[in-house]
Amino acid sequence: MAELLAQLFNGLVLGLLFGVMALGFMMILSVMEVINFSHGALFALGAYFALTLQKFVGYWPALILAPVFVGLLGLAIERFGIRRIYGKDPLFGLLLTLGLAMAFEEIIRIVWGKTGSSLAPPAFAAGPINLGILWYSKYLLFLAVLSLVLLFLVWLFLEKTQYGAIIKAGVSDSEMVLALGKNLNRLRTLVFGLGAALAGIAGVIAGPMWSLKPTMGTEILMPSFVVVVIGGIGSFWGAIIGGLIVGLSKSLSILIYPRMSELAMYFIMAIVLVLRPRGIMGEKSLLEE
Amino acid sequence: MDVSRYIKHPLFLILFFFFIAPVAVIPLGGMSLAIEVMIWAVFAMGFNILLGYTGLPSFGHGLFFGCGAYLFGLFQHHVIKGVWIPLAGSILGCVIIAALLAIFMAKKRGIYHALLTIAFTQMFFFIAFQWDAVTGGENGLMGIERYPLSFFGLFNIGIESSLSLYYFVFAILAVSIILLWKLIHSPLGTVFYAIKQNELRAKYLGYNTPFFKWLSWIISGAFGGLAGALHALLTHGAFADAIHWTRSGDVVMMVIIGGGLTNFFGPVLGAIIFIALRDIFSTITEHWYLFYGMLIVAIILFMPEGILGYLKVGKSGAPDSIKEDSSKELKPASLDLKGVE
Repeated sequence: MAELLAQLFNGLVLGLLFGVMALGFMMILSVMEVINFSHGALFALGAYFALTLQKFVGYWPALILAPVFVGLLGLAIERFGIRRIYGKDPLFGLLLTLGLAMAFEEIIRIVWGKTGSSLAPPAFAAGPINLGILWYSKYLLFLAVLSLVLLFLVWLFLEKTQYGAIIKAGVSDSEMVLALGKNLNRLRTLVFGLGAALAGIAGVIAGPMWSLKPTMGTEILMPSFVVVVIGGIGSFWGAIIGGLIVGLSKSLSILIYPRMSELAMYFIMAIVLVLRPRGIMGEKSLLEE
Repeated sequence: MDVSRYIKHPLFLILFFFFIAPVAVIPLGGMSLAIEVMIWAVFAMGFNILLGYTGLPSFGHGLFFGCGAYLFGLFQHHVIKGVWIPLAGSILGCVIIAALLAIFMAKKRGIYHALLTIAFTQMFFFIAFQWDAVTGGENGLMGIERYPLSFFGLFNIGIESSLSLYYFVFAILAVSIILLWKLIHSPLGTVFYAIKQNELRAKYLGYNTPFFKWLSWIISGAFGGLAGALHALLTHGAFADAIHWTRSGDVVMMVIIGGGLTNFFGPVLGAIIFIALRDIFSTITEHWYLFYGMLIVAIILFMPEGILGYLKVGKSGAPDSIKEDSSKELKPASLDLKGVE
């Protein structure tokens, strides 16, 4: 029973983290029509930046600074790379970001070494806590709280700001947004920067949960994809629901049949696609054309 | 009959090049690389039916390459110790996989299509990786043999040496190129290209476009399976990492580097350049992926039409309708028609 509860908690925590990753990935996908293959690499860079920064500035400043640096990198990627391929076949954006992902992963190997390193959790979140029914990791609870805060901030941004309105409008009709005189170029740069920063901060907060290794970006990229496919492109709540489904499927399948833990989410994805081809919350958008 | 017309034909020139290549390759000791080039050329040209001619971006075709290799090995281990039947089994198996997957894919296009291919290829990767009773898991499926080719029991030809394997793969390359050339210049090829140019218009002309997209998937899947099976013969094994998404970009890059989006022969040139660069860089540095990644970025930014497209030799082999720059997609037209849907 305790084991089941623990895995349930793990799944929820993981799900919130996947939600954060998937939202950044999806914002980039919907606004720039680019499948950002470098999203995982940006996640990994966030974690490694924090690893280095923590040695100099401590936990909290690193938590803020590392994502800021990743975000700046994102701005540069958009400005000097992705901007040149707007309006071309989606394949080009995909390949460009794949190239970046490979280069980043190799740079991590060169700078921080091939073997794993570990990112320390903050002192107050180290060790387990007694929740009455089970002992649970303090850090994972802290991670869940941080993820919820991030998700709330993204929700505020998408629902309560003008930028959010433009982003959502851009998903359904980017021509019209242009015709209304909105500067899509600035918006796109901003969105890529924000998406990258989200990936970066996800990396920082996930760091203490997993060990840091150069391939960590590759590993988290696929769950983010699957979350977006399950939840539906362009839906905030879709990403949350998708994230929780993927997180829970990963952790609960460990109980039943550990080998299935990587596979379960793909089977769920296939079932969702049969029942709802655009994902659970997905609506018809320009991306299908 | 004018013989010189045939000799000047690009098909003939390409095949002649591969026919005499061993003269230069044997002294350099790169026979297995040369065989690999031809295998990837088969794969990339088949893949280009989907990517370059039907305009469907797939990032999951490593799936067929990998499954082709596994099926070849499984047929050899469990059904018959030969080459022809396992080869046919690989192709047939991949056709079935493609037919099933394409049910999902045929209604999609553009970025959503690409997204799904990535997710599905990864699903197959984990199946291959975890199901080690069948696939050998992490170690791969070993013990794939180059049995002699039997011709109806009349006579046998051994393909044990790399030179004989080279000419076996060459023969398959030749048949594949000619088949694909015929296909592209057939009415079916024209329908594929019409879908790439403007699917909605093709639909209104009365073509059942999802069916043709489905067909395009099957054809590209079959060639993927064939190439995978040949690769299993070359390496004596089948491995899961061919299916991983990080590898699925390879075949896409071959098509792009060579200029496959505008030229029938682009994927062949792409395969030659890709394999050569990979070999050179991976011997001089352990960080080949850094250079590979930067190369991808540079090509996408500065030479997206690939080498043949850049040199404007795209006209030679392509059918008339494919002369224009096809990398600039049909965006405006499809937006115009949006209200109609």
